[in-house]
Amino acid sequence: MDFALLLHSFGNVFAPDVMLVIAFGVAIGITIGALPGLTATMGVALLVPLTFGRPPLESLAMLLGLFCGAMYGGSISAILVRTPGTPAAAATVLEGYPLAQKGQAGRALAMALFASFCGGLSGALIMTFMSPLISTVALEFSTVEYFALAVFGLSVIVSISGNSIVKGLMAGLFGLLLSTVGADAISGFPRYIFGQMDLFEGPPFIPTLIGLFAVSEVLANVQITKQIVRVKTVVDRYFPSWADIKAAWVTIARGSVIGTFIGAIPGAGGDIAAFVSYGETKRTSKHPEKFGTGVIEGVAASECANNACSGGAMIPLLSLGVPGDAVTAVLLGAFVLQGLQPGPLLYKEHIDVVYNVFASLIVANFAMLIIGMLGIRLFAKVIMVKRAILMPAILVLSIVGSYAMRGDTFDVYVMLTFGVVGYFMQKHGFPLSPILLALILGPMAEANLRRSLVISGGDFSIIFSRPIAVGLLILAVLSLIASVYNHRKIQKRLALTDGAGGE
Amino acid sequence: MKRRSVLMGLGAAAVIAAAPLTASAAEWPAKPITMICPWSAGGGTDLLLRKLAASLAKETKQTVTVANTTGGGGAIGHAAIMRAPADGYTIGMITFELNSLPPQGLIPFTWKDFDPIMRINMDAPALTVKADSPINSIKDFTDYAKAHPDDVTIGNSGPGSVWHIAAAMMADELGIKAKYVPFDGAAPAVTALVGGHLTAVSVSVAEVRSQVAAGNLKMVGVMGEKRSDLFPDVPTFEEQGVKASFGTWRGIALPKGVPAATRAKIVKALKAAYDDPEFQEFAKNAGLSLAYQNDKDFTAFLDKNAKDVHRVMLSLGLAKK
Repeated sequence: MDFALLLHSFGNVFAPDVMLVIAFGVAIGITIGALPGLTATMGVALLVPLTFGRPPLESLAMLLGLFCGAMYGGSISAILVRTPGTPAAAATVLEGYPLAQKGQAGRALAMALFASFCGGLSGALIMTFMSPLISTVALEFSTVEYFALAVFGLSVIVSISGNSIVKGLMAGLFGLLLSTVGADAISGFPRYIFGQMDLFEGPPFIPTLIGLFAVSEVLANVQITKQIVRVKTVVDRYFPSWADIKAAWVTIARGSVIGTFIGAIPGAGGDIAAFVSYGETKRTSKHPEKFGTGVIEGVAASECANNACSGGAMIPLLSLGVPGDAVTAVLLGAFVLQGLQPGPLLYKEHIDVVYNVFASLIVANFAMLIIGMLGIRLFAKVIMVKRAILMPAILVLSIVGSYAMRGDTFDVYVMLTFGVVGYFMQKHGFPLSPILLALILGPMAEANLRRSLVISGGDFSIIFSRPIAVGLLILAVLSLIASVYNHRKIQKRLALTDGAGGE
Repeated sequence: MKRRSVLMGLGAAAVIAAAPLTASAAEWPAKPITMICPWSAGGGTDLLLRKLAASLAKETKQTVTVANTTGGGGAIGHAAIMRAPADGYTIGMITFELNSLPPQGLIPFTWKDFDPIMRINMDAPALTVKADSPINSIKDFTDYAKAHPDDVTIGNSGPGSVWHIAAAMMADELGIKAKYVPFDGAAPAVTALVGGHLTAVSVSVAEVRSQVAAGNLKMVGVMGEKRSDLFPDVPTFEEQGVKASFGTWRGIALPKGVPAATRAKIVKALKAAYDDPEFQEFAKNAGLSLAYQNDKDFTAFLDKNAKDVHRVMLSLGLAKK
């Protein structure tokens, strides 16, 4: 660690033009993140051409600002209108939306911003000081470890199942079945696509996500004909209260570590990190029965983990030349455009660039905090909009967002179909998040299990041949047992309170 | 009265319908140009096309936008180029998959349904192993594979992908048995090799160059017609006595039926964009080996390449028919 160089890099970043582009990146990022269908990945891809001919520091600083802002921005629509702006904010819906319904949107938004900032800053700091160490661990991940990690992630399903484990598992299995649609990852055989090439790469993820969450909610709202008593929303704060911070600080610390680590593993991103962090928080909470009704730690858990991911995902990109997630895959292209090849050589030949990236990401997190605070009051106005105007607006945004991903009307139909599916599932008490988790982790588990079997020649014992993998699988089993036990306890407690209320 | 408004409506419709005609009849380019990229934004193909589009914009003084029409392993985007209006305002980037998708029965059209304009680059695969591996030549690799028939794993960038085919061609030519491990793109395969989880990878020189330069991996042989400009010390397969040469390519094509006068202008403008020093420098930085061919040579090349790919895929059981 070269502190003199790091200080020098901060000097570079504090130049007015660089600060300006970071602020620009963050502001665009928050907007893109908040709009359903426009993800951090897409935002970075759209801004890359703007960096043609600009100096490397300016270009990379702007893109990092956008990355940061978008990771937070996703939470705004997740909290206010139950539509995760980015897949990474899907877990934020679970607690954020109930809080908004209770009239505490301001509290949830403030916590989301604060947790995003803490997570993002921790991720950036861990990246700055521990990149070489973490990247050696990431290299240890062979196909077997990836499979085990995916299984561990799937064990969270119980935690996000809501009242009925059986219904949660049914939703999860439905998601796993959906994830088998598309080209087989090993043989390339097109499965269940019925000649529809649009399905070749599986059900399009973003339209599915938008359909399940946003459109199903619009449909449910359309049914309400009577006058709705509007919840009075108080947005009186830019910063979470001391009590909230005290309640959430353990969660934030844990989420930062989980997020950075999962981000550092190539191929695993903010969506997985947010779910795992949420699951762990619920499992270790003193009052797990309240989860799902608007618990502030739940918002903190997912938001801090997905922002920590951005620092984490930069680690393998910079030190191995391998992107840690989808956004950094596009960032890799931006580096190449600048004539820089991320990877071990970057450390040898362009260490100044590496340190500039460290400094930019740290500064970008502060910029996100400030711009976010300025914006909270504005964002929260969304919730004051009349339902009769808000709902059609959400529907239009959903359609545009689904279409925008790859300019294909097929995706719009997929989105509408999942909207109807989501509506009926919810009506009958099926949770939606397990579908999402299964869609994210199913392909990862399947492809890596099959790859392992190709390597071992069909011998299943390869799964138990590596210590990290075995460790993760044991963790998965333990977390599953603990969650089921927890769930029983919750049911008992709920039964007790219900009984008391009835008398 | 009513009849008159109908007539007026018809007249207006005729004017509107004629508008695009007048636009295309005027000097090309009279309006913004769209370039279709069958691969997602931010990837290697996309970056190359965006750089070319920027140079084309400079050349033609028109706005050139890149549209990423992705999905179906390239099938959707290629179909979009084929079906685009043949007015010269939609230009597409075509890639190797245009020749590997038809044998698998995944698309109902071939390169013959396009009007090829120019080839841009051609990249050869390399057989790459870990730097500390005892394998130093193709012969070493063959001996190792024969001594450990169940242990050789070669990573590639996806099932039926160009580097999967390359690995299978390689093994076929060397008379060895190997397990082909498809990953989701070249980068994860290269990482797995760096981590020591594979014997070798069969991806392009550009995709391993950073790890090779850093001393983590080493190239045993280049499976191209000539040595790579990036690593002139690494001999080709042919120099090591193995007759195997293969590669992926990218090029530009139009939908069929663009008027000859417009087409000639497009050919000229694209060549100028290709020759733009900025584009040339970008390609050099990205490690792409530029391999320009004009429309005639590119057409002949596509014909031969399609037949070669089909033959190999058939012998490997990857092709349907």
